[in-house]
Amino acid sequence: MSSSNAFWRCPFLKSDASNSSASRSDAAVEAPEADRRRFLKTAGMTGLGAGMAGLSGLCPARADAPVSHGKEVTSTPQMQDAQLRYPFHGVHQQGVVTPRPASGMLVAFDVLARDRESLDRLFRTLNERIAFLTQGGAVPTRDPRYPPPDSGTLGPVVPPDGLTMTLAVGDSFFDERFGLTNLRPRHLQRMEGFPNDALDADRCHGDLAIQICANTLDTAYHALRDIIKNTPGLLVVRWKQEGTVPLLPPSPGAVDGSARNFLGFRDGSANPSGDDQALMNELVWVGSSHGEPAWASGGTYLAARIIRNFVERWDRTPLQEQEAIFGRRKMSGSPLAGGSEQDLPDYATDPDGDVTPLDAHIRLANPRTAATEKSRILRRPFNYSNGVERNGQLDMGLLFLCFQADLEAGFISVQRRLDGEPLEEYIKPVGGGYFFVLPGVRDENDYLGRSLLAAAV
Amino acid sequence: MTTYRQCIAAGALSLLTLGATAQAAVAPESLVGPIADYKLYVLDNLDQFVSHTKAFTQAVEAGDLQEAQALYAPTRIYYERIEPIAELFADLDASIDAREDDYENGVDDPDFTGFHRLEYGLFHEQTTDGLKPFAERLMSDVNDLDSRVQDLTFPPSSVVGGAAALMEEVAATKVSGEEDRYSRTDLWDFQANVDGAKEIFELFKPLAAQEDQAFVSRVEQNFAAVDSTLADYRLDADDPQSGFESYDEVSDSDRRALTGPVTVLAEDLSTLRGLLGLD
Repeated sequence: MSSSNAFWRCPFLKSDASNSSASRSDAAVEAPEADRRRFLKTAGMTGLGAGMAGLSGLCPARADAPVSHGKEVTSTPQMQDAQLRYPFHGVHQQGVVTPRPASGMLVAFDVLARDRESLDRLFRTLNERIAFLTQGGAVPTRDPRYPPPDSGTLGPVVPPDGLTMTLAVGDSFFDERFGLTNLRPRHLQRMEGFPNDALDADRCHGDLAIQICANTLDTAYHALRDIIKNTPGLLVVRWKQEGTVPLLPPSPGAVDGSARNFLGFRDGSANPSGDDQALMNELVWVGSSHGEPAWASGGTYLAARIIRNFVERWDRTPLQEQEAIFGRRKMSGSPLAGGSEQDLPDYATDPDGDVTPLDAHIRLANPRTAATEKSRILRRPFNYSNGVERNGQLDMGLLFLCFQADLEAGFISVQRRLDGEPLEEYIKPVGGGYFFVLPGVRDENDYLGRSLLAAAV
Repeated sequence: MTTYRQCIAAGALSLLTLGATAQAAVAPESLVGPIADYKLYVLDNLDQFVSHTKAFTQAVEAGDLQEAQALYAPTRIYYERIEPIAELFADLDASIDAREDDYENGVDDPDFTGFHRLEYGLFHEQTTDGLKPFAERLMSDVNDLDSRVQDLTFPPSSVVGGAAALMEEVAATKVSGEEDRYSRTDLWDFQANVDGAKEIFELFKPLAAQEDQAFVSRVEQNFAAVDSTLADYRLDADDPQSGFESYDEVSDSDRRALTGPVTVLAEDLSTLRGLLGLD
């Protein structure tokens, strides 16, 4: 619509040959500042101002022309990698082995669709929106007497900004509503509270979840609002939790270290590499050997946990106790025996826990025995900060997300080993849920959820 | 930006002549009839509102707790139906219908008056003691509203946009059960908001149908879905005039069932102004 582009130029000024309506939006996006200066300059040079003012009472260069403050735009930090774009089509969805960006969010929904037809419409709509949002592009415009189709929070052209949107279904999705009960993935279940949990019903479970990750949270918020706008009557948000990964200062020549959680420890040490395709096929992606329904091939289980950290209390805990609780050195991330984050703790020569206590977090989580290798999980956590509790303490913690091909052997086994760990005094899981990440969208003829819905026919 | 805002106004003229507004708008004169009909609807409800408020406040002032409790919800519905117009007077809307969380000091805030202050006394404290000043104030505010609306020229865009505004009310505070937190009579208000939105939709339906019949059908279906879920909670299923059960009785699944059509109605009705070509 030309009306939406009229904001940046006086329609009476024709001195600039490039001032065609087709180029207006581009100019407005690219160089509003330069535009403005050129506008003022030409207005003065041509003497148009005075004449037009008499005619319309509206153009500049009048005696009561608005006072310029020099720079009329507030400077804005720049996106670092706005054009980072992950392909939408593939055997697997993005957002699992994809490198973790600085921002992530998990949104759980209740499905309001009542029948298979509207369920199908829901998945096709999600497919279409996610395909657009992750690839970016110009947002559609509409007669201004209507609400705009896009929130506009990223401007007229949505940058991909490393956005991934990973669609998963929860245990309740397979209840009697849609006739999919016999297609439930083997290990998918309602998350039960562990002994240290204090689950808040308003932040647990969901028929469906979308993990939304991007370089910036603004991109994730834009994507979420787009989904809500496009699925009225089909989805309602049940809960959401967003978080960030602290950026590391550049350290040329040094080996990368894992990002830190809000307890100040590196979180990501000993994580299996998402680049190792064979390992991912073994630990993360559901394949023919996992005994899952055929439709689930290429998917994975997501365990999500909102884990509150009692940071004030933690900050009042002696460093050596913090390190004993985790089983790592705080600053370097190395095992307690020393070295670097890359070095492996040697539990075989430390059977009594003289170096790494037997109940240290990392030792319980990953005992590094042949028997526990199959419980390795791919972690993808984000730090969250939600506000302040009534007691004046910060509501901060970890949005813990992990992926595995077998939920029982993976997260549930790991968490059972962790039950009762000394770290529990400083953390409190309050929400989350278990979901199954749907297989990827192969090509234009495929869509998210197609293999599941097709299997039910 | 300031420089440019001035140009926008000038630009608007030329845009009109350029025919930038492509939408085949409904002829402005065809809106006159429905708007006149809507004013009659509002004035009729306002009449009822005044007389019901009189009975309600008299019961409060007479110290008749039971009667006052019984009249609370049936009185409010006349206000809830015509909120798009009533809300044009922000000062009265605040003194008549604000809730405790609109005030930093909650129920103790001296500015907290109106229906919900009375509701707090009648249902939470279970007494009419100390409510007389609030009853008197409410009656005078409602009379004030009545006289102001009589003289009001109804702005077309407020009327047509009112259908969406009412559904936004429902989506924001009715489904969650925040509106009548002490009396739990939320469903009365819920139905009244929906009725008010439906009245507007019905009046403009013939015009909307000329533009988009599928839109009209969808809106009708969703109104029917909401009405049918609400009907399950009527005290007397056969009597549409009977009241509603407590909002505490509404099951989680029915709250979810209401969210769907309510959200679609809010989305759809938000396009009604555009559909009718209203600026």
